[in-house]
Parts: sequence; structure tokens; C-alpha cells
Amino acid sequence: MSLLAELLGSRVVQLVVIGAALLGAISGVLGSFAVLRQQSLLGDTLSHAALPGVCLGFLIAGDRHLGLLLAGALVTGGLAAGTVLVITRCTRLKTDAALGIALSVYFAIGTVLLTVIQSRGDAGAAGLSTFLFGQAAAITRGDIQLMAVAGVLIAAVVLLLWKEFKLVTFDPESARAAGLPVMALQSALTLIVAVAVVVGLQLVGVILMVAMLIAPAAAARQWVGSLAGMVVLAGCLGALAGGSGALISATGRGLATGPVVVLLISAIVLVSLALAPGRGVIWRWRARRRLSRTLTRESRSSADLRRRHVPVRGLKR
Amino acid sequence: MGANLEQVTTHEPGLALHVEDLTVTYGQAPVLWDIDVDVPPGVMAAVIGPNGAGKSTLLKSVLGLLRPVAGHVRFFGRPVKEMRRQIAYAPQRHSVDWDFPTTAVDVVEMGLYGEIGWFRRPGRDHRARAMAALNEVEMADLAHRQISELSGGQQQRVFIARSLVQDAPLMILDEPTAGVDITTEGIILDLLKRLRDRGKTLIVVHHDLTNVEAHFDWLIMVNVQVVAQGPLKSVFTEDNLRATYGRRLTP
Repeated sequence: MSLLAELLGSRVVQLVVIGAALLGAISGVLGSFAVLRQQSLLGDTLSHAALPGVCLGFLIAGDRHLGLLLAGALVTGGLAAGTVLVITRCTRLKTDAALGIALSVYFAIGTVLLTVIQSRGDAGAAGLSTFLFGQAAAITRGDIQLMAVAGVLIAAVVLLLWKEFKLVTFDPESARAAGLPVMALQSALTLIVAVAVVVGLQLVGVILMVAMLIAPAAAARQWVGSLAGMVVLAGCLGALAGGSGALISATGRGLATGPVVVLLISAIVLVSLALAPGRGVIWRWRARRRLSRTLTRESRSSADLRRRHVPVRGLKR
Repeated sequence: MGANLEQVTTHEPGLALHVEDLTVTYGQAPVLWDIDVDVPPGVMAAVIGPNGAGKSTLLKSVLGLLRPVAGHVRFFGRPVKEMRRQIAYAPQRHSVDWDFPTTAVDVVEMGLYGEIGWFRRPGRDHRARAMAALNEVEMADLAHRQISELSGGQQQRVFIARSLVQDAPLMILDEPTAGVDITTEGIILDLLKRLRDRGKTLIVVHHDLTNVEAHFDWLIMVNVQVVAQGPLKSVFTEDNLRATYGRRLTP
């Protein structure tokens, strides 16, 4: 307990914990929409595409000016999303192929830029590679403020456009038939995912960021039956995993925060997939066994009619 | 086609749906080729044709969900953009993921989102209307069931209730009876007939040739082109069916 108190007393640890929790909450909320739109990989593409943006930002600024780096990340992320859209619209390739192409091309560009910058041996250039896996300890008070502002903005947009986002996520075709600007709404969703990705770059890096989007949503879906419930729970699980992952990584020397957070949220996913009532694998297996035992007993007692009263809810067809 | 339909002008306010020279292609292949369709108000029209004949494409392109290569569509004489609120559309059941976390009544309520407008939340009266619509498709007792736990026929009825709740004069339904049992099909078709008797116009993609005659009163026979259209009694002939379905005629 004293270790915990000691840790939380440290300024750096406080910042990292708050930052990771904020990021977990934001990405949990947005990831819910991405997962339900069956676009989980979009986050992956956006985050990998952020790397060339970060490098370009560095080349323009000449040093590690965070604002410019993140602006660059947002721009190339948006370009990648546009690339995916153009590929799916103009060719016969499906979304998954387009996402894969955009991801690898932009990441390759980013890697080339990164090596070019590093070979020039600029001061501060070494710090750029931390964007690959994130470096939580480098987080500053200003970064937290930036994250908080982004979080509030994203929450406001999601609340204001709640029912439109919901309809576009569930049934885009009907949304269009009802006269909603589906393209604009989908672009807005993609854009705020890109913002979340950019916010998370420093903490978890471009490679693992996708887990922060998908995992809380996948876990939350197991426990709840409404979009609102899923979004709130995913935000909470993301914040929980982010905060406690940051704390755990602070206890060990050299434990990288991003990967620990990702492992933690993955553990939550695993438990949810196995145990959640109604949807969990083990839960359904046990329900099936219970049912088959009851049925065997009842058919022996020849009360076949009572069979109808055995609860089968939650057993999938 | 009756003589009265030949005198059609570009804006035809007397017709629920008026389509002129509509051509839709996927890539190079034409899906619909130079189609003219007219549906008068107050009928229950079946769109029939073999698989791949362009039935769903016809619905989607008149609704502006697909961009046609050429053509011209009017609802009650006006372009679809101005008529969104007057048209209720139910896409095929398989066009959405039924594992979405929500309940039956919530899906029905989504039919009202267009009417509710930007930034507003659905209120108690919207919920009441959604319940009433579910009641009409005999699904009231399953209102709060997760949609993933509904059977195919029940999901189909949820979609119909969602288009019903909009109380639009024109309803366009894509295969509302696909993959449902005979009882459910009866419930659905009877409901549609009641709606027509209340003065609504229905355009329904239908696949079961055995009961077209019993339920519909207008027919549009499609196979890339419109083979025949008009009052069911005069159009539903063996010659037309053979022309629509080719040799694979199995009524």
C-alpha cells in the first residue's frame, strides 16, 4: 500500500496514470462505433499512417514541436482514410484490402522518413522512434491538457450526434434513405477516431494503438445490450486498463507503459469473451449442459410438456 | 401498359412513382437497362423477377442510394430529395448486423430519427409510436428483446414496423417475406394489404410466385429491362412470366 501511495505521490506517475486513463476512456468510446461498424482495422490504418505525419511535422518544425508533430499525424491519417475511400470506391477491392494497402504504404513512407531523419543525426531526432511504441514517461502537463480538451470535444460531438451516429452505424442504407448525410457522418466518425489515435501516439505508439480502440469495445459488448451501455462501459474499461496499466508499469524498472496497458485490456477482453452472461463461451457451454441435463431428467419423468418452460434464453440458435 | 401511361409527362404528380429511362450498371455490366416504371397511388405493387434481375437495384436507385448512369425519378411528381419524409424504406434483412446491441423497439424507433431532426432525442411519444408499430406486426411482447435473439421472421417484422412507424404514404420494402415461415408471411402480407386499404402505396420486392396473385394488385416484372407492368390481372400471364424468368419457370 505504501508503494502505491509513493507511486501516486510522484508527479510523473500522476501524469502518466491520468493520461493513460484519459486515452483509455476516449478510445473506448470511439472504438465502440468502429467495432460495430466492422471497421476495427480502420484505427490500425489511421495510427500507422500517423507515422509519416509525425516525421513530416518534425522536418517542417526542425525539432520536436509536439503540436506540429500531431498536426502532421492528423493530416496523414486523414489522407490514409481518403486513400481507403478512393480505393473502395474506384476499384473492386474490398475495404479490408484497401485498409491493408493504406496501412502498409503509409507506414513504409513513415519508416523511410524516420530513417532519413535519423541518418542526418539531428538533435532530438532520436526521440521520434518513441512514437513507434510510445513513451509514457515523456508525457507533460501540456499533453494532458491537450488530451482533456480532445476528450471533451469528442464527447460533445458524440453526444450531439448520438442518434445519427447510431443509425449510421447500425444501418447506413436506411440512414441515407431517411435523408441523413451518411458520408459526412461516417467521415466525422473517422475523423474523431483519427484525433483519438493522434492523442494516443505518445502513450502507446502507432503499432499498439489499435488495441486501445478495439479491446475495450469488444469486452464491453459482451456485458451489455445497448449502444449507450456499450459506449459507457468501454470508456470505463479503457480508463481502468489505462490507469492501472500505467501504475503497474511504474512499479517495475523499464516496463513500457503502452504494452502493459494493452496486455491488461486484452486480459479484460479474454475474461469477457469467456464469462459474460449470455454471450461468454463458458457461460453458454454451462447453460447448454444445464439444459441438456434438465431435459434428460424431464423426459425420464415423462413430463414432456414442462420442457417448454425450460429457459433457453441466451442459447444462440 | 395502358394508354393513359403512354401520355406521361416529365413531372407526373398523379403517380406515386414515375421512372423514366433508368439505366444502372455495376462496372460495365448493365443491371437495369433503360427502364420505365409507373406506379399509381393506392396500389400494392409486387416487383418480381429472377435472381440478379435488378429488383433491389431498382429500389435502391429510385431512392437515390445508388447513382444511376441515366434516368429520371419522380415521387408524386417531385424528386426523391424533397420526398424523403413521405417514403418509408425497409432494406433486406441481411443488409445489417443483427448482433448490434439494441432492442426491437429501439430499432423501430430509429425509423423516426429523420423526423425527430438534428440534435434532438426521441421522447416518450416516439417510444409510444414505436410500440404501436410493433403491436401492428404482432411483436409487442418481444419489444424489449435483444435483436440478436429474434428469429429471422421476427427480425423481418421489426424492419416492417420500423418503416410503418414513419406513417409515410409510400412504403418501399425489399423482400419483406424472404426466409420467413408461412404463418409469418401471412401476417406480413395481411398487414401490407390493410395498409393499402388505408390508402398507402406499397412497392414490394417479392419472390414467391405462388401467392403473388392472392395478395398484390399491381405487378412490375423485371429482368434487366421491364418485361411487363400494370394491373396484376392483365399482366400476370404465362407469356410474361416466361419472358421474365426464361425457361426456369417454376410457379
